[in-house]
Amino acid sequence: MTSTPEVTADGALTGPPPPRKKNVMDRFIDSIEWIAAFFVGIVALNTFIAVFMRKFFAVTIPDYYNVGQFMLGVLIFWGIAATSYRGSHITVDLVWANATPKYQRWIDVFATLVLLFVVTVQTYTLFDKVVDTYNSGLVTMDLQLPVWPFFLLSWIGDGAAVLLIAIRTYRLVMHPEEMHEPKIKTAE
Amino acid sequence: MELSNEAVAVLGFVSLFVLMLLRVPVGMAMGLVGITGFGYITGFAPALKLVGQTTMRTVTDYSFGVIPMFLLMGAFVSVSGISRELFRAANTFVGHWKGGLGIATIAACGGFAAISGSSVATAATFSAVAYPEMRRHNYPQSFATGVIAVGGTLGAMLPPSTVLAVYGIITQQDIGKLFIAGIIPGLLAIVMHMITIAIIGVVKPGFLPEGPKASWRERAAAIRDVWSPLLLFVFVIGGLYGGFFIPTEAGAVGAVGAFLIGVLRGKLNKEGILQSLLQATRTAAAVFTVLIGALCFGYFLTVTQTPQHVTEFLTGLGIGPYGVLALILLMYLVLGCLMDAMAMVILTVPIVFPVIMALGFDPIWFGIIIVMTVELGLIHPPVGMNVFVIKSVIKDVTMSTIFKGVLPFVATDLVRLVLLILFPIIATWLPMRMLG
Repeated sequence: MTSTPEVTADGALTGPPPPRKKNVMDRFIDSIEWIAAFFVGIVALNTFIAVFMRKFFAVTIPDYYNVGQFMLGVLIFWGIAATSYRGSHITVDLVWANATPKYQRWIDVFATLVLLFVVTVQTYTLFDKVVDTYNSGLVTMDLQLPVWPFFLLSWIGDGAAVLLIAIRTYRLVMHPEEMHEPKIKTAE
Repeated sequence: MELSNEAVAVLGFVSLFVLMLLRVPVGMAMGLVGITGFGYITGFAPALKLVGQTTMRTVTDYSFGVIPMFLLMGAFVSVSGISRELFRAANTFVGHWKGGLGIATIAACGGFAAISGSSVATAATFSAVAYPEMRRHNYPQSFATGVIAVGGTLGAMLPPSTVLAVYGIITQQDIGKLFIAGIIPGLLAIVMHMITIAIIGVVKPGFLPEGPKASWRERAAAIRDVWSPLLLFVFVIGGLYGGFFIPTEAGAVGAVGAFLIGVLRGKLNKEGILQSLLQATRTAAAVFTVLIGALCFGYFLTVTQTPQHVTEFLTGLGIGPYGVLALILLMYLVLGCLMDAMAMVILTVPIVFPVIMALGFDPIWFGIIIVMTVELGLIHPPVGMNVFVIKSVIKDVTMSTIFKGVLPFVATDLVRLVLLILFPIIATWLPMRMLG
């Protein structure tokens, strides 16, 4: 949503700012976002096809439910990686909005460090969950597929989130000009 | 020194507010405080175990898939340019009335909100779509921005509303019923805001201009542009109402339908598809983060018995169920000055909901009341999220100008809130008749 156009007081539209040249790190960040975006498409398609087949041909796709729920997990963790880097989380901006740019930057650094800590702990505890699932031999209902690879894929997304938040922290401290916060957060 | 459970609860809430004011993401702050507080009381090993279990259980709950699916539907439709087409269609029918562009904005915001489910997205979009048109026809700046701010709030009420879905998840209420319950109050909001504009036109002659009258040929052309997404919306919500789909399935059908309509009409190219997927993913991740945080915080509330203490306190005040309800709503109006709708719902509902149940109110009706109140928080002074959003999109407009334009609509919303409290049937009639 960073490309939201602006409008002048008399109603004239101004275009979004010109795109910035991307370096290797930007392209890496973009790739993680595209992976997350790909998963949301997969979840929608899986559910749509399952509904279509069930309603019109009375055919149930094996494991559509389990695959749907586990892919939902995968999409959310990869999405958290993208959201954490872009600063699109739901936040209370009351103090920040009334602070000077210098204090805004320090507030952002503090908030990102807390975010980094929380997501790191989450990633650590999730690994336990992946190992537990592997050891328990949990499988899907119809095709008896092992569940742990789905959890591992989710965990990799969470790991990517840690990496991206670390990059965000580094950029906020060393290269704040490279950070572009979204003006509009559609989750709010 | 060992702290009592009550002291831990108070300390937890203070820490939570400090972290949130320091811009730590709401979900992360709730998760951190919740798990730390829970760990202090029960031990840190089980608390850490809880993080992994709660997180994985939340993100793999199929019924929660309703959120990304409807977000994706909204993203496809809005990237396809529906906002401009809806506004144009509404404008051809009512633009020639006094204040007609304002009425068209409310109608188009209602249509857009019904598809996008986001208040701030609606406000931001119509700042770019409707504001230039209203200014071109010499509408006062305060009125133009006020109408857009209030039009944006319709996103939280009309289905599919993300805030209502989150309320349903936290309180374990049927999300489909909540969506359907929002229809009549949402339509009532549209009608009441339109009447407010008409009254402004009568009370202040010359304040609101009239536009040129469109021909029936122009009206037919405008309708041709919007009928397919609106039909999709009716099909999806109708399917939900008729018990044909569960909410997650309805969202997926809506998303794929919106994709197909966008592509077939030539409105959705490769870039638009990718942009929609990204937007839905980011927003869904942000919502799920607060959900995970809220569930972790819920364990903390349980071990400190905060909801029980709050329930005992409020029901012991001797002011009756409606007195307690009034206090709760007042708290929401004050909180609306500090935080956005989603944060408010997630933070307060786990504490307030047991009180409402103890007082014998209907949980579906209360969901609608909560959303109406947080909607008000989006526009009422001194801080309104939609007002900030409009200010970020429209240059050189002051907050006081926008608030001045919003005030008549705040009064209308307060009347609507009273109507909903006096006549709960407005919200409960449709869900009571749902099939499936």
